[in-house]
Amino acid sequence: MIDGLVQILIWQGMGELISKFFIPDIPGPVIGLLLLLGFLVIKGEVNQPLGMVADTFRQHLGLLFVPASVGVVLFLPDLKTHGLAVTLALLVSVVLTIAVTALVLKFFWKATHDE
Amino acid sequence: MTNDRLPISEIWVYLSGDPLFALVLTLATYQLGYMIYVKVNRHPVFSPVAISVLLVTCIISFMDMPYQKYFEGAQFVHFLLGTATVALAVPIYRGFNDLKGKLFPITLALTIGSAVSIFVGVMIAKSMGAGSTIVGSMYAKSVTAPIAMGIAERIHVSPTLTAVFTVITGMLGSILAPYIFNALNIQHWWMRGTAIGVGAHGLGITRAFSINDEAGTYASMAMGLNGVLSAVLLPFIIGYIRT
Repeated sequence: MIDGLVQILIWQGMGELISKFFIPDIPGPVIGLLLLLGFLVIKGEVNQPLGMVADTFRQHLGLLFVPASVGVVLFLPDLKTHGLAVTLALLVSVVLTIAVTALVLKFFWKATHDE
Repeated sequence: MTNDRLPISEIWVYLSGDPLFALVLTLATYQLGYMIYVKVNRHPVFSPVAISVLLVTCIISFMDMPYQKYFEGAQFVHFLLGTATVALAVPIYRGFNDLKGKLFPITLALTIGSAVSIFVGVMIAKSMGAGSTIVGSMYAKSVTAPIAMGIAERIHVSPTLTAVFTVITGMLGSILAPYIFNALNIQHWWMRGTAIGVGAHGLGITRAFSINDEAGTYASMAMGLNGVLSAVLLPFIIGYIRT
């Protein structure tokens, strides 16, 4: 468990350093993700402790953004006045996003594979 | 005797300090939310995040605890966001294994999907008169929260509202996705998985895994790729739009 966590923290640290000194437009953790991905592709396998930690994070990813989301209390007045706009924007946009993504895949697949 | 032992009352003051309280509150409400979520067969309406946020918000408002004070304790949880982002490399890598020529269509689909998400969200919010704080937080809402908040910081919009919109998007997407797929007659699990990963990120993945493993793997990969592409491209695109 700790073994896997240490591996991830090292990649995160390297990502933060690269972000800070070379590419400040990309968040450090995203660079860390890419580095780890490159490492996995070269290694050709996910070692067991790393897989375990990654699965735990994936399962409870939601917990990690509770603290930030609670900050919604700071925006309540603003959100109340624009409640309808926010609801519509979120609703229509998520439905269209899912529909368009699925349709692009479907048409592309049909065009290249005749089933 | 200058080296007196700490009186018991001071130890209590230390333990009841805000960091511990906020930390316990965050974890306990999430745990409660998760128990409810499992009880209702992981129905996305009962997202543990939503339950936890709702409870914490009510409790700290009731106690008159300012958000900043709550965050002092909760930041220990918040800190792990970056670490969790790095860990996303693992599901992306696992998805790579059975791609077999699907990488191009998936990348194409998620780029278009992600563009639709931003365009529609921003346009609707803007045309209905929402302020720039709300509109700005529409940019990254379909990206998984940890990356979305990183992007929000980079493009100088509110990470908090972005996180909130992200959570709501995840809930809406996971609830509505099966209906959308049936209406459009999307049958392949990998297509359904990819679409839900792009649209509804984390919660969508959980939903996908609970229905079909293949869909779950593709959802994780699509979410990861979408996050990476958005993180790399969004700051430039927005810089371009704004200038």
